Amino acid sequence: MTSLATPTLAVAPVFDLERVLASIDTMAAQRPVAAQIVSIANSDDASAGELSRILASDVALAGRVMKLANSAFYGMRGRVTSLQFAVTVIGFATVRTMATVALTDLDDESRLPEDFWETSTSLALAASTLAPRFAERPQDALCLGLLAQMGVALLHHNDPDGYGELWTAERSFDGRRAAEVQRYGISALRLTSVALEQWGFPIGMLVPLKQVGDLSSFSGALLRSAFEVAARLVDRHHEELPIERVSCGQLRERDLAPVLEQVRTDAAELRQALLG
Amino acid sequence: MPARTRVVDEHEVSAEIVATVFHGVRVSDAMAILVVEPVDGVLRVSWGNEKAVGLLGLALEDLRALAFHVLLPSLSPAELKLLLRRERAVSMALPVRCASGAVVDCAVTAVPSAAGRRWSVRLRSTANETERALRATADASERRFSTLTERSPVPTLLSEQGMRLAHVNDAFCTLVGAQAEQLLGTGWMTTVHPEDLDGVIEQAVAVLDGGEGEARARLVHDDGGVRTTVIRFSHLFTPGVGAGFVATIEDVTDRLAFEARLAHQANHDPLTGLPNRTLLADHVIDHFTPGGGGRLACIFLDLDDFKVVNDSLGHAAGDELLVEVARRLRATVRPGDLVARFGGDEFVVVAEDVDEDDAVALAERIGAALRDPMTLGGVDVRPTASVGVTVQTAEHVAAEELIRDCDIAMYQAKAGGKGRITVLDQHARAEARDKLRLVADLRDAIERREIRCVYQPIFSTADGQPVAVETLARWEHPERGPISPVTFVPLAEETGLVSGLGLLVLDETCRQLAEWDAQLGEAAPGRANVNVSALQLDAHLTGHVQSALERHGLRPHRLSIELTESALMKDPASAREVLQQLRALGVQVSIDDFGTGYSSLAYLRHLPLDCLKVDRSFVAELADGHPEITSAIIALAGSLGLCTVAEGVETLEQAEELTRLGATYLQGFSLAEPLSAADATTWFAEAGATG
Repeated sequence: MTSLATPTLAVAPVFDLERVLASIDTMAAQRPVAAQIVSIANSDDASAGELSRILASDVALAGRVMKLANSAFYGMRGRVTSLQFAVTVIGFATVRTMATVALTDLDDESRLPEDFWETSTSLALAASTLAPRFAERPQDALCLGLLAQMGVALLHHNDPDGYGELWTAERSFDGRRAAEVQRYGISALRLTSVALEQWGFPIGMLVPLKQVGDLSSFSGALLRSAFEVAARLVDRHHEELPIERVSCGQLRERDLAPVLEQVRTDAAELRQALLG
Repeated sequence: MPARTRVVDEHEVSAEIVATVFHGVRVSDAMAILVVEPVDGVLRVSWGNEKAVGLLGLALEDLRALAFHVLLPSLSPAELKLLLRRERAVSMALPVRCASGAVVDCAVTAVPSAAGRRWSVRLRSTANETERALRATADASERRFSTLTERSPVPTLLSEQGMRLAHVNDAFCTLVGAQAEQLLGTGWMTTVHPEDLDGVIEQAVAVLDGGEGEARARLVHDDGGVRTTVIRFSHLFTPGVGAGFVATIEDVTDRLAFEARLAHQANHDPLTGLPNRTLLADHVIDHFTPGGGGRLACIFLDLDDFKVVNDSLGHAAGDELLVEVARRLRATVRPGDLVARFGGDEFVVVAEDVDEDDAVALAERIGAALRDPMTLGGVDVRPTASVGVTVQTAEHVAAEELIRDCDIAMYQAKAGGKGRITVLDQHARAEARDKLRLVADLRDAIERREIRCVYQPIFSTADGQPVAVETLARWEHPERGPISPVTFVPLAEETGLVSGLGLLVLDETCRQLAEWDAQLGEAAPGRANVNVSALQLDAHLTGHVQSALERHGLRPHRLSIELTESALMKDPASAREVLQQLRALGVQVSIDDFGTGYSSLAYLRHLPLDCLKVDRSFVAELADGHPEITSAIIALAGSLGLCTVAEGVETLEQAEELTRLGATYLQGFSLAEPLSAADATTWFAEAGATG
């Protein structure tokens, strides 16, 4: 595997990034409930009661939270009957993640590249499953995986034709990031970190996004490995990268078989629960 | 700096105010502030306050010489655009490079000027000492927790949200034979036995809502083995994350197995392995439906001649017989029928969903199976049993009535001869129930000392004077009126109440004697005869007699104990021992109803006795001109050196005849009827006055 260069803004991008960055600001105004959840869910004194009270004003989002809490993914077998308990079960970080998905229109698959969510759910589950091997919390890794490609959605929203072409033409992780930098001056993952930082997400979620391309960075290794797992599952033409290098030596090929199996099993369920 | 500036609210401010604010910013030690602007196409620091100079370790001149991106090593020059936006403020967490080369983590906020050509950049170090200490404490605490659970032999699960596991320790992995990766998330739920999973989730759900809980669940090991565990859940709340739980697992498989063994031992007969009486009662209660809906039947078996086997072939042979009978019973009954050892040589079979014909057919099959010959101690025997059959009817309101009726049926069978099967009929059931009620009343009467004593005087033939009394027990039932001793004494013997009854009569007699002594002095009866049942003739009798005498301050010769000859002949050797103890105490001993039982004259000679009581039936024959037996008994007593009491003296002629034959004492209605304590006091007072 060749070393990934840290994506940088191109000298003369062919697309105005200002428009994309400006759109991040306007989103919150369009979905105030989701924006409020995003802003308070991270505070240490957030409570399930307060979150569910706010969540109740957004019926669609509240319905998804209930659905996810009762999904096989959390193993509660339909025993979650109140919104407050649903928030407790799936955790504040996941509620915030779902609010972010709503805020950025990630739940509208018609406005996203093909197999966007298939990749995102596989990415999230792979990150969550592998998290303990990288001393990370599975739940945080799940949220990171779900939101990692938010930059992809932002770019696609602002440049549907151009980004659609790029997505189809470049299938590999490196290829897409390089093409994004070339066209927009920034990689989609870097853009995700910018947006998340702007919305007050914890720094622990931002660092992996910034360092995912640096093969020597341990902080980016979990997300990098999750991208590799997702690609193996989603892209039939994916050229496998040696997982030991991708993961900074944390994983070996033989570790991946059960992970691939588990992710394949849960991905559809999670996607169904998230998107309805 | 311009003298006037535009602010957000469009209000004009004076130059003095601007100068004041600027001075405050310049000398502030709370916030490091830089001003950044493009100079010759490169973004540079054009100004910094004192705090910024101190934080970065660079003089203002040095700062001005720097390209801004040098201070932010994690941003490429081109990425500065993400921080320095023209239309809005941006905050980022970024490492900032100082003059020493050290990097300080900062929250960097860039605010564009109104024109959008300059930015004020605030740097706030996020790596202060307190935060570092807090983080270090939290990290250390987490490490301690991880180490503790990881090395703990107690299987432990940790969920951060819902049922999804974030951590599982080695002990749990070992318990279920799986790797941590297979168990994290919801994988661990597949190790819970499907039948128990709902209960586990139920508890976890309650605990996620707060508090603690526990669930018993079977965990299935990878190799198929099943362990029974108790999972104890505790609520876990992580600020900013949500609710989860910590669960510790106790493997109780071995303890339960041990308890099951103990329970089995407590509920089963160790010799035959059959359920015992306790388990039988539980089984019947469990399967009993009031109103007869269960069609439940009980078959009660009592082995015939078991005592003969025990006595002749030894206890080992008796045990062998019981084990073989148990085996045959188990082999004969239907699956689902219960076979229990009721006690001794008694067995009970409980069958469900049968009518009387089915139950009798089953009893016949059992009888046939038992009759197959078997060899015990070299002897061929054909075991038989008396069998009582009861089928539940609408009259049975409680489970124990069924077993009791069955017991009655068995006794009826026993009474009818060996190897019989009897089905309990209504009449026998009603009779038995009546008897049971009477037993309960008798028990109460004994406990409440409601059994009254009456006293019949006994006269000396030498001078015609009353010298003693015989104490006779009387029971006045509150509803049925007087109950004859002929009824209640055998009833007391059958039901184990005779000891209590006997002690009551003994104590009351001694008390009354002491009272007469106090009231009548010389006129008080010299002796009282008290009847003792064969069942009381044991090692305790002498002790009871002695304590009764001592309690009431009486000398032993004031008491005579009357025993029937059949009681003495039951076990002559031990009877002789008890009699000797009584004689040694100084108490007299008489044989009651002599001649009506089966006395061994050879034994009689060796028994330490004082008196023979001639039964009233022989005395009555005197009137018919048949004095032979009475005469023989009196003569026999005389030759053995014993005195005699003739009972049932009805007429003066009989009294004279008995005196002539040599009887020592006389007792009968014609002489004096049994008297209440009060009447006896008066009677003896008068007799003393006239004597």
